[in-house]
Amino acid sequence: MPFLELDALSKHYGPVKAVDDVSLSVEQGEFISLLGPSGCGKTTTLQMIAGFVDATAGRIRLQGRDITHAPANSRGLGIVFQSYALFPHMTVADNVAFGLEMQKVERAERARRVEQALALVHLDAHAGRYPRELSGGQRQRVALARAIVIRPPLLLLDEPLSNLDAKLREAMQFELRTIQQQVGTTTIMVTHDQAEAFSVSDRVVVMQSGRITQIDTPYEVYEHPASEFISRFVGKTNLLPPATDGGPQRHVRPEKLMLKPAGQGRADATIVDRFFLGSQWLYHLESPLGPMVVVQVNDGSPAHPPGTAVALDWDDAILRTLPEGGR
Amino acid sequence: MPRNGSFAILFNTLVVMFMLAPLVIVCLVAFTPENTLSLPGWTWSLRWFRKVFEHPDFVTSFINSLWLATVSASLAVGLAVPASLAITRGNFPGRQALEGLFLSPLVIPHLVLGVALLQMFARIGATGSFVWLALAHVVVITPYAMRLLIAAMTGYDRSVEHAALSLGASRLTVFRRITLPMILPGVSGGWLLCFINSFDEVTMSIFITAPSTITLPVKMYMYATESIDPMMAAVSALIVGLTAATALLLDRIYGLDRVLVGQR
Repeated sequence: MPFLELDALSKHYGPVKAVDDVSLSVEQGEFISLLGPSGCGKTTTLQMIAGFVDATAGRIRLQGRDITHAPANSRGLGIVFQSYALFPHMTVADNVAFGLEMQKVERAERARRVEQALALVHLDAHAGRYPRELSGGQRQRVALARAIVIRPPLLLLDEPLSNLDAKLREAMQFELRTIQQQVGTTTIMVTHDQAEAFSVSDRVVVMQSGRITQIDTPYEVYEHPASEFISRFVGKTNLLPPATDGGPQRHVRPEKLMLKPAGQGRADATIVDRFFLGSQWLYHLESPLGPMVVVQVNDGSPAHPPGTAVALDWDDAILRTLPEGGR
Repeated sequence: MPRNGSFAILFNTLVVMFMLAPLVIVCLVAFTPENTLSLPGWTWSLRWFRKVFEHPDFVTSFINSLWLATVSASLAVGLAVPASLAITRGNFPGRQALEGLFLSPLVIPHLVLGVALLQMFARIGATGSFVWLALAHVVVITPYAMRLLIAAMTGYDRSVEHAALSLGASRLTVFRRITLPMILPGVSGGWLLCFINSFDEVTMSIFITAPSTITLPVKMYMYATESIDPMMAAVSALIVGLTAATALLLDRIYGLDRVLVGQR
């Protein structure tokens, strides 16, 4: 029996199918990401699990118990909101203690667990502060501590890192994963950022127009996307002509194409533009096969200036074809 | 820090003086030892203040007014909190109409309301009833509470309430522990505005108060139409003092502009 099971879950607003026939099984301790563009239904799905949105059809089962229409305050889930949703008139410690108070945990035990949770997110020194006195990253961690202190069976994260600047976001990604593994809570995170989904998740659930279009490990989603849409959503891709007439089009990721001296590869190409990304160079090329994108590791050797004639080469084994009917 | 030019400072000084001068003068006149409305010279006297308290009907009407303002402000806020919650959050037909209805007393002249209510009270036998007087005040002061509360609730992040719900709080607990503290400046500011407006209301109250429910402003108006003596100045000075103390308190607790404008 799966730990959490979504069974043909749907949410319709009049004729609009915000979430349509979504089925998903989550094992205990798993970190799952719902990934997709805005409006794909990922947040509505999360809100149905949380109990803030009532499902039109389908079932939600948590540990075998049907919670589809249970009130939100009876589900006992830990939720981290995109806006953090801290209680502005309470101190950090009171914010974290609120859930325990609702569970009628006695005072001494409450204080001990609040301290523990704040230590876990490295905020023990800020217990007496108010949310307005904290930075964005600190607020985010208070929200996390408040959610996990009640020892929820399931942790729901709604775009938890989207309000942080890039550097902090990356640091928090790893911290989030570390904390999740320490406490072992089954986690579902909603995100539109594929890098975020890939770096922390055990499995990624790709959603599009209210439906699930792929469920796989991050590696599989990147290497074997189920559709061209997914392929382009999770990274850049180059189209190569079919191997045989009438065969499927082939795809290759930019970092898997090699640049060779002119005439020594499988297709001639000219560098149109180059972009320096620090650890990598990104090239835009023009070739008889069409426009191409190539990413090369910055190994210290000089980059090719625009206008350089080069050749493209690749290993046939890394070419991907998309499943029939993949959109 | 922006600096004002000398012209701006002069202009503002004149405006403030223009607005404050009558108040200052009435307060000074209150201390006159004479029998006419005149500024006190070298000798100041408290005789007119003593005179006020020798008039038991003034004291009664003052207590009437205080009591009336307290009751009607509380009723108005009790009505305005759920109404503005519904208006700012609900998505039901007639939401705009409801907001318009609640704010409409602002544009109806109190004189007209007074005449209309007088006739209605006479018909239903409510003349002299404190309850009906309070209800009439609730009608005219509720818009003030609504304005502040709607301002306080607009842009309020609902996910904070969702967070409390998800942590196991009941709906009542969410309101008591989360919603109410977050809109508290609007609630208390609204209450004070309502109180002041009710306490100060004279145009409508003239028509609908009876001897048993007469309010201080009405009493003062009636007294002043019959005789002009410095006792009116003493009563005014007392009200000015009370209002100033209230405003000072309000400013100390929340900041006056925040309370009156309803912004954080």
